[in-house]
Amino acid sequence: MALLRRGIHRLGYARIAVKDLRLLKTRDFYANEMGLLETGIEPNRVMFRCWHEPYKFSFVVDQNENQGLVEIGLHVRDDLDLENFQQKLEAAGVKVQVAAADTELKGLGKSIAFDVPAGPRIRLFADIQQLGYVSGFEGPDWVAPKAIRGTAAPLNINHVAITSPDPERCSAFLADMLGFLTSEKIVDEKGKTISALLFRMAKNVGGQEIAIYPGAEVKLHHIAFTKEDSSDIMSDGYFLRSDGIELDLLGPLRQPYGNTFSVHFFDYCGVRLELCAVGRMTEVHPEIQPVVWSKSNLREALSYYDEALVPEEFFMPCL
Amino acid sequence: MAVSRLSYLSIRALDLAASEKHYTQVVGLRVTGRAPGQVYLQAHESQDHHCIILNASDRAGLDHVGFKVNDPNDLNEAEVVAKEWGLKTRRVAAGVVMGQGEGLSIELPSGHIFNLFYHAEKVGYSYGMKDPDIILDDLEGIWPVTHLDHTLLAGNDVDKTAKFLREALDFNLTETIHGPDGQPFAFFMTVSNTIHNVAFAPGPPNSLHHIAFYVSDRADVIRRVDMLKHRKVATFDYGISRHGVAGVTTVYFHDPSGNRNEFQCGVYEASNVRDKIPPIVWAGENIPRGVFYYESAVLANFFEVVT
Repeated sequence: MALLRRGIHRLGYARIAVKDLRLLKTRDFYANEMGLLETGIEPNRVMFRCWHEPYKFSFVVDQNENQGLVEIGLHVRDDLDLENFQQKLEAAGVKVQVAAADTELKGLGKSIAFDVPAGPRIRLFADIQQLGYVSGFEGPDWVAPKAIRGTAAPLNINHVAITSPDPERCSAFLADMLGFLTSEKIVDEKGKTISALLFRMAKNVGGQEIAIYPGAEVKLHHIAFTKEDSSDIMSDGYFLRSDGIELDLLGPLRQPYGNTFSVHFFDYCGVRLELCAVGRMTEVHPEIQPVVWSKSNLREALSYYDEALVPEEFFMPCL
Repeated sequence: MAVSRLSYLSIRALDLAASEKHYTQVVGLRVTGRAPGQVYLQAHESQDHHCIILNASDRAGLDHVGFKVNDPNDLNEAEVVAKEWGLKTRRVAAGVVMGQGEGLSIELPSGHIFNLFYHAEKVGYSYGMKDPDIILDDLEGIWPVTHLDHTLLAGNDVDKTAKFLREALDFNLTETIHGPDGQPFAFFMTVSNTIHNVAFAPGPPNSLHHIAFYVSDRADVIRRVDMLKHRKVATFDYGISRHGVAGVTTVYFHDPSGNRNEFQCGVYEASNVRDKIPPIVWAGENIPRGVFYYESAVLANFFEVVT
């Protein structure tokens, strides 16, 4: 092989923790409202995947007193990638935890984990159990399974958004250490980054795998899942409302920052979720140019429709 | 490193002015450059210099296909491996193709020329790269395509061609169509997380089956079919359809030279982690459903007509 894609290939999963005995409610919400497929249950953990994903899980909920985002899982090509990242991180003084296969999460291969300065905990892995497509590999009817029609039933996990006390430092680390590129960013009057959308994938929806928003602490802001298009977002909105789920942020949202069309809402434990469609095509290339937004145009960047949207409220984390 | 995207198709035009009108007014691209006998065009939401080059010619069809790589040294590495595979290569000096740096042309067993290059001049998104108002004025009544999505090429030795792209340039195979002998004859491949960027089917050497442009919403595909009919642009017999392959909502039509175009919307993701997920297989009685899902029948002229 002469040319070879290296490094992070895809967003693997988001892993969160909720406290108390909320897992039962969580299972109910994600099965019956979100339309995710449950793929693993342990005494203190439940795992889900989206119907179009071939891997075991893309969303993991732990039961833990330390409520919040546990980690973001990123899929690399092979063990050589893991070794290269470990070396690079340790050379930069970053403490790396190495976990053998199936020890951290059942179905996950060998992994390495570390804390991003002013950012989330990241776990890199090359192998994850493959369940295959729900409709199989032989001439599949590649449409959502009947059992989850009428729910949100997203196709894939799309991105994870966090708040950070230092978005510039966090995004610089993700760029320098993990090769993330910036598709969009918001800068203040001095040119300092106060928010950034970062990517390693080139997909038709979303243009980001990690979104960083300003905030006092590193916290989860939301987890976004992919829908086919804007019409889906509208119908998902009324399916959710018909079941009494409140929609956040003045309903369906066209967001110039990322150029997505989306709807935001909360699960029964207060986790903010997004269903998103549309977005700008990205390219994993050093010369890609980001869209740059001025802090003075924050409201316009965050919503094309909702003039009443308050950016400070938008940036409030959830867990 | 790697091939990072399908960048452009350089195609032939029997009547350059008529083709320019088609790609601006029917497809919704913008003109980004002109040279004697050439027009360069790009989608409004793509930032590189061009995604289509029209070349005045006495026949329809393809001149060559452009792919970007994300490391300048990739050209050297690709040159070495292409020669190992016995393929002809040629260096293309910077600027020969307007708006881009040095390239490496590889002649594939299928007869197609792939031009790999690292640098593209940036024209930016039509609405600008700073605090853009994302809605464009003065459009032809429909929202523009966002980018060049993929192309289906027809040629000889497509199995060897696919093998070279997979084994030498790290293309990922996502779907295949198999013949009665059980062997794959059409190959859908990606260099990104979208489900295919280039596909190959058997046909005359160096042929073009279609060029697909991405549309963000299915409702926009429907409006585009309405508009094609309104403007008397010939569409494929089914009008709107869905492919089982890749699960996209689609319409086919032709440019004035007869080159087939597609508008398509579909968000299926390719895993993109090499060899982790086997390709989807379309064979036997599944094939009609794979090609046209609603109609579940393939009209003979769909595969046979190429330019």
